[in-house]
Amino acid sequence: MSEGSPLSSLTRLGAFAVLPAGAVLILVGLVSIESTDGTLIRFANALLTSFTFVSFILLLTLFVYGDARKRPIAPLLGMFMSVLLGVGMTVFFLSQGELLMEDNGSVRAQALSNLIRLATTVLGMGMAVMVVAGTLFASLMNTPPRAIQFEEE
Amino acid sequence: MEEATQAFVFFWVAGLFVVMGAMLAFFSKVNWQRRLGGALFGLGVLSLMLTPWTLSFSPSSAFGHLLGSLIGPAVLLAVGLYQIAFSGHVPVGRLSRTDRNIGVAMVVVGVLWLEAMHWWVLTPTYPAEVNRYWYIFWPTMLLGVLVCSSATYAIVGLVGEQRQQEQRLMLVSASLAIILMLLGSLFDGPNVDHERFATELLFASADIFGVMVGAAVAVLLFAVVLAFYESQQPVPKRLDPPNQDQLEKASHIIAQHVGGEGEDE
Repeated sequence: MSEGSPLSSLTRLGAFAVLPAGAVLILVGLVSIESTDGTLIRFANALLTSFTFVSFILLLTLFVYGDARKRPIAPLLGMFMSVLLGVGMTVFFLSQGELLMEDNGSVRAQALSNLIRLATTVLGMGMAVMVVAGTLFASLMNTPPRAIQFEEE
Repeated sequence: MEEATQAFVFFWVAGLFVVMGAMLAFFSKVNWQRRLGGALFGLGVLSLMLTPWTLSFSPSSAFGHLLGSLIGPAVLLAVGLYQIAFSGHVPVGRLSRTDRNIGVAMVVVGVLWLEAMHWWVLTPTYPAEVNRYWYIFWPTMLLGVLVCSSATYAIVGLVGEQRQQEQRLMLVSASLAIILMLLGSLFDGPNVDHERFATELLFASADIFGVMVGAAVAVLLFAVVLAFYESQQPVPKRLDPPNQDQLEKASHIIAQHVGGEGEDE
């Protein structure tokens, strides 16, 4: 195992995860993209939809947490408020005219479109994780077992 | 049935089935609930994939069409990688050499199939033009492969010993993703032009970043809610210190076990 502080390891991991993709995006942006209009809108819509959806998923996981905690109401209420906050913010920002609206005619259509886009993003990332994790696992399982080398006395 | 009701039942209720089914199947400890979760998940996915027929009037059915288009390469990749992994050095249930070769062939066909969806005539087309969700899926997957491969390269370097082969593999998959993204941004495919692909690549990065930030904020809020709830709980009752009788009994039991008499070491 490599030596190093947890912070430097985390920095290295973050740099490896982000820098190559960032470099490719900059290169592609320089070569082929004429306009970056709409990118911020996509980011904001993805953020709001993801926040609401993940809050909903975490609300559901509280039922599992409740098995070990005499079914408390307070955390359920807390996460329910979080979901409501996400829905409220989404509706509020989508109602502000052109701010977050794309090619959809109504707030409801835009919100549903955001949700389907989130599902597509999750699908794409899921396939990517499956390919990378599967490749790594297959390689690990096909590496011959190593003999332990003892030093001669 | 009205169109709105049809869309609600066949798409949104099906989507809810997928989410709830996955949650039940993963988290429930009760066997029948896990089976029910699996069944709900399968039913939901099936209903979504049938939307090009059940909801042909709705633009959302393009997502169902994408799911149906991806099922072939996804199954080939998943089963192929499984075959390769479990024909390796596994202690029980090792697959044969032939299974491994079939697995390699399945992975190659799966990758080629996905490539043919961009570079050949297999692009998902619905109803008469390229499926709009394909424009989101493909750049997202390529970016995902690049990010996951390069992160895994770093992780393997940090926690593994003599794992150069795995690092090389991650480097190959990251390079492949980079090449495909650059080629897609420079050259037109038969159905997708390079400018559209490049723009969608930028949008995909915005989507991924937005999803990650939104999820991180939700998880942070979840942690705050739980920490706040736990901090409000009364402190558990502390036991009284042991009395003289209990101490003597404990020392007697300890002496019986650590005295070293009557035991052959």
